[in-house]
Amino acid sequence: MDIGNIKKHADLNFEVAQAKKNALEKLRSRQLMAYNERLFTADADTMNLVSTLKQNNKDFYMLDVNENPCHIKDPDDFLNKLIERNQETLNSYQQLHQDLAKKRK
Amino acid sequence: MTTGVLLYCFDTPEVNYHRLAERCVAQIRKYLKLEITIVTNLETYKKLKPMGMINYKMVEAKTTNTRPYRGKSVAWYNKERALAYEHSPYDTTILMDCDYFVFSDNLLELSKTEFDMMLHDRVHDLTGKDMILGKDESTLPLVWATVTLFKKTANSDAIFSMIRHVQEYYPHYRNLYRIRYPNYRNDYAFAIALHQLNLGNSIPTPMTMLADSVDVIDSDGDGIVFKHGDNVMFTSGQDVHVMDKEWCNG
Repeated sequence: MDIGNIKKHADLNFEVAQAKKNALEKLRSRQLMAYNERLFTADADTMNLVSTLKQNNKDFYMLDVNENPCHIKDPDDFLNKLIERNQETLNSYQQLHQDLAKKRK
Repeated sequence: MTTGVLLYCFDTPEVNYHRLAERCVAQIRKYLKLEITIVTNLETYKKLKPMGMINYKMVEAKTTNTRPYRGKSVAWYNKERALAYEHSPYDTTILMDCDYFVFSDNLLELSKTEFDMMLHDRVHDLTGKDMILGKDESTLPLVWATVTLFKKTANSDAIFSMIRHVQEYYPHYRNLYRIRYPNYRNDYAFAIALHQLNLGNSIPTPMTMLADSVDVIDSDGDGIVFKHGDNVMFTSGQDVHVMDKEWCNG
């Protein structure tokens, strides 16, 4: 491969890597979710914690992203909302990821 | 409880802020569907196209400040923001620069939570070239006043009173916090007030931005296409602060 093609290749890789970073920022912003006037991230950590706590308690307290306590009175409802938001963001990210994979080929 | 968006829009000799505000309003209508109040002056108001139901507040902007933009010094009428607490008719206000464009309803989610004031303390440069932040610009934990959510509470009232005080004695506070940037900037005034009062929440995700050296070359209601050097990229479904002030001129 000559230096001109190597440069094109490097530029393409930069664009793809940056598009991925931008999409991940979009995903993280979209995962922010209000619940009972508190703010949570609909990510794997939050879903796992809710899922674990609800196995032993009908209601419980959790810290939100600002470390304020939130009384979770209906864990099933909360978990469903977290999963819904999490999957919405991941579906959108997955579509972009596929487009980027095609671009790289 | 009412929630609405508050915009400040004053045309300067160099920049048609009214064009940016028109686009900003269209995006707010599409994604946030909230009531909008625009604080402006008569000169700018006359240039704004009819946009349906908008609350207007007429003020005379202070015209003493300037900023660097693409190698020139340009007028910058940014001092009225310190009066946002008085200007806002809403219980919960999303105070927004008219060069911030929403392409999602993420701000609605933030507005439904409990806080006095909430703003970004980090940025994400969409070009990946980290052109936004300089090094050692001050000894202050910086915040970005571009998008500021606040509620009508005693704490918010105190923050805005402090911002007005900082504005009045800005040379002193600039010296105190070793701020390099010579002109009055709301980001610093807000940061100083929050630091002095030990108040405020940060928005957990960074503000997505495009520096003033990045050209916006196309856009629709869902996103924008931008160019920096040889790189052309796009963003969609992502709120973005665009520092290119000419892209809405057509």
